[in-house]
Amino acid sequence: MSILAKVVQWFTDPTHWQGADGIPTRLVEHVQLSAESVALGALIALPIGIVLGHFGIFGNLAIGVSNVGRAVPSFAILVIAFQVFGLGDTPIILALTALAIPPMVTNSYVALREVDPDVKDAARGMGYRQLAQLVRVELPLAVPLIMAGIRTSAVQVVATAALAALIAGGGFGRYIIDGLAQQDYAKEFAGALLVAVLALATEVSLWGVEQLLVPRGIRLLRAPAGARVRTFKTA
Amino acid sequence: MNRIRGSVWLVAALAALATVAAACGGTSTPTTTSKGTITVAGFNFPESSILAEVYGQALAHDGYTVNYKLLLGTREVVAPAIKSGQIDLYPGYAATELEFYNSGAGEANGDAAATTAKLNTHLSSLGLAALTPSAAVDQNAFAVTKATQAKYSLSKLSDLTPIGDQLVLGAGPECPTRPFCQPGLQSTYGIHFKAFKALDTDGPLTRAAFKNGTIQVGLVFSSDADLNQAGLVVLQDDKHLENADNVVPVVRQTVATSEVTTVLNKVSAGLTTADLVTMNGQVELLHQDADAVAAAYLQQHNFFG
Repeated sequence: MSILAKVVQWFTDPTHWQGADGIPTRLVEHVQLSAESVALGALIALPIGIVLGHFGIFGNLAIGVSNVGRAVPSFAILVIAFQVFGLGDTPIILALTALAIPPMVTNSYVALREVDPDVKDAARGMGYRQLAQLVRVELPLAVPLIMAGIRTSAVQVVATAALAALIAGGGFGRYIIDGLAQQDYAKEFAGALLVAVLALATEVSLWGVEQLLVPRGIRLLRAPAGARVRTFKTA
Repeated sequence: MNRIRGSVWLVAALAALATVAAACGGTSTPTTTSKGTITVAGFNFPESSILAEVYGQALAHDGYTVNYKLLLGTREVVAPAIKSGQIDLYPGYAATELEFYNSGAGEANGDAAATTAKLNTHLSSLGLAALTPSAAVDQNAFAVTKATQAKYSLSKLSDLTPIGDQLVLGAGPECPTRPFCQPGLQSTYGIHFKAFKALDTDGPLTRAAFKNGTIQVGLVFSSDADLNQAGLVVLQDDKHLENADNVVPVVRQTVATSEVTTVLNKVSAGLTTADLVTMNGQVELLHQDADAVAAAYLQQHNFFG
């Protein structure tokens, strides 16, 4: 029997859809670990990126630090955090949060910098104060890029959360690690497939969220060139 | 047992120094005329070096000139060396030796004497012999914390049968499919655990899970250096689920005179698994030299008279 047939058989086995090692339980674990990590990462990264981007300061520093963050392997953080915090979800969430932060800092910083200075001038000219200008003018315009950062982070985190199983955590990584140890390659393949499908689903659903958040004006800007509304720039 | 431990390299370096030191200083040879030269080898992990030193120093005390080839390699290296006569003796493990020399025919079982007898049927044609197995074992074992042991007054695995459904078992992810692990505990002992937690095979995850109470029963190796330090107690395998990996000297027949056999059997008879745990702890955790640890052991057990 080919490996694909075995994988199909694995998915159709009802025992794999129930209990503590069933797909629904592992899905909840995987999504929970990922969501907590991305949320925590966003809580840290977005204010930093948005504030620095708004004021246009420390940009190179923020992006530089973020890029160093990208270079540290999640696996290394996972193992070190395990030594410090012991068994449990904490080291996993820590490693995944560290992975989630850099794209969100970079993207939100760039998003705020990319807001047309003329628009900001206009806002100030109309009497917007600092905060109102940020919240009502800059942020709506920055949504597409900020969301792209969140999406990148989330997809990376979902894909990487499989590492949790290496330190006895849950999630779909369990199938990969257990399948390898048990020489049950159908299980391993199924685990990899589930991680991939979940990562794609994350991408698609966050794209959906982005569509809801993007202001109508920008959606018009993205329309085909012929139908696009052109903004006038003075000199 | 043929396996690699985390601290092998550090200990390897220490043991290599120890070997050099032993070669320079010379181990105690009370008689002036040597009864002959015996080359003792060990596998590439610390416990084997300790055992080789214990057997070797006992022979040296009896008047033999002993050469050591410690950390020689895996069984794939050591076995050809003893077959060809480059070495004369190594400390083996009954069941693992048997399954090596019979090419994994599955003849080993939980009975040390029977396993060794079977091993000798394979060794005799090679000009080798396995002597009387020691009570000391290095095999898969199931441990509990001292607190769990006291709470349920446990001493052997069959004590777990009535209370298994209150306990969580932790081991490597392969445990639920391996006959020596969860299925064996179920079929041999009738233990049905509350849950199984996939960790690692006797590694840091298992230690951490014991520590924070995620698991109550865990797979370890019976002679692990850190069992005492981690406050773990190995439950006796009273129904012999695990293959008998008792320490047994494998020796060339031409070397195994009645005197040599008597000396080696005397050492084996005194050796216990607790001794292995203590000596492994001294070498792996306290970083003492294997030859010094072996000498102290023999001294303490009045081997040097």
